[in-house]
Amino acid sequence: MKYHLITLGCQMNLSDSERVSAVLERMGYERTDNEEEATLLGMLACSVRQKPIDKVYNKIAQWNRWKNNRNLITFVSGCILPADKEKFLKLFDLIFPMSELSQLPDMIRNYGVVNAASLKTPKPVMPKNEHIVDLWHIKPKYESTYEAFVPIQNGCDKFCTFCAVPYTRGREVSRPSTDILDEIRHLVNQGYKSITLLGQNVNSYGLDKHGEEVSFADLLRQVGEYGRVSGEEFWVYFTSPHPQDMGRDVIEVIAEYDCLAKQIHLPMQSGDEKVLIKMNRRHSMDKYQKIVTDIRELIPQATLFTDIIVGFTGEDEAAFQNTVAAMDEFKFNMAYIAMYSPRPGAASYRWDDEVAQDVKKDRFHRLSEVMKTHTRNYNEQLVGKTVRLLINGADRKTGFSTGLTEGKLNVRLDRKAPELMGTIVDVLITSAADFSLSGELVTQKEEVES
Amino acid sequence: MQAIKIDESFYKVKEVRRLTDETFSLRLPKKQFKFKAGQHISLGIQGDYQSREYSIYSGEQDEHLEVLVKEVKEGYFSPKLSHLKPGDLVEVNGPFGKFRIDEKKVADHKFVFIASGTGIAPFRSMVRTYPELDYQIIHGVRYGHEAYDKDEYAPERHVLCTTGDKSGQVHGRLTKYLKKTKFDKTTQFYLCGNSNMIFDALEVLKDKGFDRDQIHCEVYF
Repeated sequence: MKYHLITLGCQMNLSDSERVSAVLERMGYERTDNEEEATLLGMLACSVRQKPIDKVYNKIAQWNRWKNNRNLITFVSGCILPADKEKFLKLFDLIFPMSELSQLPDMIRNYGVVNAASLKTPKPVMPKNEHIVDLWHIKPKYESTYEAFVPIQNGCDKFCTFCAVPYTRGREVSRPSTDILDEIRHLVNQGYKSITLLGQNVNSYGLDKHGEEVSFADLLRQVGEYGRVSGEEFWVYFTSPHPQDMGRDVIEVIAEYDCLAKQIHLPMQSGDEKVLIKMNRRHSMDKYQKIVTDIRELIPQATLFTDIIVGFTGEDEAAFQNTVAAMDEFKFNMAYIAMYSPRPGAASYRWDDEVAQDVKKDRFHRLSEVMKTHTRNYNEQLVGKTVRLLINGADRKTGFSTGLTEGKLNVRLDRKAPELMGTIVDVLITSAADFSLSGELVTQKEEVES
Repeated sequence: MQAIKIDESFYKVKEVRRLTDETFSLRLPKKQFKFKAGQHISLGIQGDYQSREYSIYSGEQDEHLEVLVKEVKEGYFSPKLSHLKPGDLVEVNGPFGKFRIDEKKVADHKFVFIASGTGIAPFRSMVRTYPELDYQIIHGVRYGHEAYDKDEYAPERHVLCTTGDKSGQVHGRLTKYLKKTKFDKTTQFYLCGNSNMIFDALEVLKDKGFDRDQIHCEVYF
């Protein structure tokens, strides 16, 4: 009895997939990477862009063809727009929101039994999140032994015009802080070194509980206090925050505790005030600038990552130049730059996609070049310095070990060291490239000698 | 017999109140719905899979929950809303948003509300919620009959700017009025409406030397 699971999209879906695996394996299913030998085939869909949704349609078409020769059950969950959901109902055997994951075993066992009551239930316009807590009670089957994602919140109330997430994941709901801390303690006790707190707007954490839950800054403080007493070395990240709710208190807490990683991912999306308004981002560039100033003042060693969309409706050359200027001002260590593409379900889908594709491509390349100059400059300053590195893999060509610094900069080691996988070691940076560094392991002997 | 659980986010339409040929307000029972003036809701129609966001038009203490809707004839959603009848079911989610009055400033600050078209909705909610508010509404519309529920505001607090006729106090765009008017230095400005109006008004206010922190924007899309 084998299952095959395809997970598309963001870390939130990856985290959810660990819970799906846990549920299925508790039923007796065994995971397989070979979909042809599985009898249960599932997908966690992503609606942020069109490409992953196209992949869902292609894959289910293939699986449904296989049904001519094999007994299969197919299911889909994840981020699904209501319009796609209508179509998926005809294509997949089972479709469910993640908040109903605990009922998946019953759905599989009862597959084929028509539930008349469910057919009469009006379909909600926005997904309901009341039972998302049930999902968080499911102990995940972690994919890694040293890196884990911990959901702290689900849903989004921000309604950015380019994004459909409020319509796929519903309202913001915060996970109880006691559960979050329990999971973190468990992970640290198991030797995990990198823990990422996940949510669509992590710094809105607790706001939905109207005073009955701690704030995001206080949640981080509790994690920091635990880190202090645990005596273990581990790094806690979070993604993604929204600038609207990013206060100085959050930055102060990160500065105070060693286990709170000195890396901040702060989506900017555009450096132009008017484009931000059109995106309904609900913060000004002044606000974004103030947050970055606070970060530079309180955590000067922190690396800063961002997300940027180029070619959004209404972005003319002058507006794009404001984004270039912001890139020059904030000197991001990494910017995930995307060319705007209208997504069904998002408000901007109803507008003309007025920036031509070749203009988007041109802006994408120009902005990438600007970013490169800043990342290279930053990386070159690290040459000759010793950094702590979490070994997390091997270079595909050479087999040499690779890792991430606390600031999430990629480093390639000068040797194979599989025995160090999942450990944090000292590495001397020997050379820098645009988006990566090279280094050599600092052995304990060398440390003693120096 | 097992009790049927009614989904609490579904509301029965109380009234569709026509304000102009194109604009109407949708009144729903308030039930236990709590919100802050200026916030918006997501509204869906039973049996339809789309939803849209609308600012709340009623005050926090009003007995009904109300939104202001302009029907876009070629649109998908607003024509369906306009055909709703009392008793029809709509789904309400929310409230959402931080476009709200800072209550600490109510007693000692002036508030200027700048709206285009149905962007006046959150300001009516604020005015009804805070009777003591020292406010001025600057409302830009094409024709005078689009000054929705104008009689509810004190005449000296309501400036109507019309571009299509001369029935308003100002004939022309609201930025014309903004440019020639002096405002108190600590005024809190709230802008709501289409993005072009917000861009233009923002520029005027910045040129007048007001900090971005004093200017709050809610874009309609």
